Amino acid sequence: MSDDLIIAIPSKGRLQEKTHNFFARAGLTVERPGGNRNYQGRLKGVSSVAIAFLSASEITRELAAGSVHVGVTGVDLVQENISEPTEKTHLIAPLGFGHADVVVALPKAWIDVSTMADLGDVASDFRAKHGRRLRVATKYVTLTRSFFAAHGISDYRIVESSGATEGAPAAGSAELIVDITSTGATLSANNLKIPEDGIILNSQAHLVASLTAPWGQKALDSIEQILDRVAAEAKAHAVREVRSDLPISSLQQEEIASTFAATRPFGGDGGIIHCPVDNAPALASWLRQNGAATVSISALSYIFETENPLFQPLADKLAV
Amino acid sequence: MPLEPTINAALSDLFEKNGHETVEPPVLQPADVFLDLAGEDIRRRLFLTTGEDGRDICLRPDFTIPVSRLYLQRGKAGRAAKYSYNGLIFRQRPGHSGEIPQAGAEILGMTEREQADAQILILAQEAAKAAGQKEATIRIGDEAVFTALLEALGLPIVWRRRLRDLFGERERLDKAIARMAGDGRRSDENMGFLAALEGADPDAAVTVVEDLLSIAGISTVGGRTAHEISERFLEQAALASGVGVSQGAADTLTRFLNISGPADQAVEKLSEFALSEKLNLSVPLERFERRIDLLRAGGIEPKNLSYAADFGRRLDYYTGFVFELHNPHDSGGQPVIGGGRYDLLVRLLGAEKDVPAVGFSMWLDRMNEKG
Repeated sequence: MSDDLIIAIPSKGRLQEKTHNFFARAGLTVERPGGNRNYQGRLKGVSSVAIAFLSASEITRELAAGSVHVGVTGVDLVQENISEPTEKTHLIAPLGFGHADVVVALPKAWIDVSTMADLGDVASDFRAKHGRRLRVATKYVTLTRSFFAAHGISDYRIVESSGATEGAPAAGSAELIVDITSTGATLSANNLKIPEDGIILNSQAHLVASLTAPWGQKALDSIEQILDRVAAEAKAHAVREVRSDLPISSLQQEEIASTFAATRPFGGDGGIIHCPVDNAPALASWLRQNGAATVSISALSYIFETENPLFQPLADKLAV
Repeated sequence: MPLEPTINAALSDLFEKNGHETVEPPVLQPADVFLDLAGEDIRRRLFLTTGEDGRDICLRPDFTIPVSRLYLQRGKAGRAAKYSYNGLIFRQRPGHSGEIPQAGAEILGMTEREQADAQILILAQEAAKAAGQKEATIRIGDEAVFTALLEALGLPIVWRRRLRDLFGERERLDKAIARMAGDGRRSDENMGFLAALEGADPDAAVTVVEDLLSIAGISTVGGRTAHEISERFLEQAALASGVGVSQGAADTLTRFLNISGPADQAVEKLSEFALSEKLNLSVPLERFERRIDLLRAGGIEPKNLSYAADFGRRLDYYTGFVFELHNPHDSGGQPVIGGGRYDLLVRLLGAEKDVPAVGFSMWLDRMNEKG
């Protein structure tokens, strides 16, 4: 049991729900016997997997420490809370939810500031005029520091803020903020704006692997199985199966490949074609123009292939 | 590399012989002082903790600031004092020990600045030898010449300050100079309005923008007054319409920053530069030359000093002469000794006036590596 694959997932809220949905799409059911009070669970369908239900900040910490193998968390938290994130973690795949940007936001009334370079000037002017540094309220201390350094801004101080950061400029506890926003509505309501080049990070929830965890063969086998299904589902989700009674010549094969980015995974001269979702109707028209009597288009559940585009990069990193 | 006790003894003899009193500033220091003086960048390198009164405390990350604080605590600012130290500083370094052995010396309150500059560099070179670094290449620079050039070019005060802030980081400085000369001019939605104000009396224009902001109910926002915002807004206008700083001034700055070579030739090169650009830089250049002469008299051959006009320290309390000693067998590596003049520091720490100060720190763990 001790060398089981341990996956950390959010213990509550919308993130938990969406994580469960994500695994369910790949045919994997997260089981939490005893409900929300239980902090350990299993993944139905794959053996030797333990689920740890943790808070978002705990997940990044445990990934860095290597006490869990894989976790579901936002890139913002990985970048902020883990020192040397590329050494310690590997982003396996984006999950398509939990979208948010980490941005610099400053008072709309600063009509003279529309870029980070402007902000650099203001920071230097501010210190000369007021005898103290510009204050930036944020909980993203690491991200702020490296972003400001990259823009050559050094005349500022960070004021750590754990909640309602967007209110800091109005309250007078800071001049500007670095915070997370998904729609910008909260910033706007607080009379704040984002400089043109003030987006620090586009974040979304990711499946993240710990490179510091002890990866035994059993854990590797389990993650390979899981990623196999995730990749098969993702691949299937992106294409449609287009069937017709038209035999495809090699010349036509080239044409549909270049025009519709379509493939014929099963070869032969028969008419099973896989085609990106958006191109499927156009391909159907083309087939009929070329003599097909009937064309059917259907959604697929899984496409399993020899290569596993999600597992291989992880295996390569762990092999180093 | 564990230091041999003989090296510490040799250093302490050398410092004592030159009249430097040994001091031991406290290991625990208020973190605010370092964050204010060195900027947020240093935070990730500090070992931080919280005092019982809730204030942030750090382990000393360098000696210059703690020694300067000690100087202020011990007596009247401006008095002459020579200190030396030998101990650990503490910085977070991934993959390396956070404890770094350093020794060094400082001269405070000595008003004959060039004399003090020369003394401290000569002492640094002897200290390097005592620590086993028999040979060292020496780099020198002088921010005072750059500051004087900014003034002689008649640049707007704000730009003098911004460029001074970046001195020591060539790439960023170049970018700022290009921006000052109007590179990457914007054509945003404000431009129409700015064009309408072009050529107006500057004070009147500021008042117009200030009025507009006050109509919108804005007086002080995020700590900046409407007046401040207006002023900078119009400065942008001046830049955008090209009536700001001329390309000529930017080119002159670049030509200056490109000057480098052995220090004996640097004096000539700098004089030629001032002459051909028709700029009066006589005060800083006389001082530069005097310092070189004093070094020569003290046994350091100017042709062995490598000067670069753009060499400086980004910390803004460094104001003039700076130097670094490098291991000649580790070219491009980090200096074994770094030093310079920091006349603004003691005042920033609370003194009522500037106190002349110059000193150096030795990275004892880098001495004689591969040498």
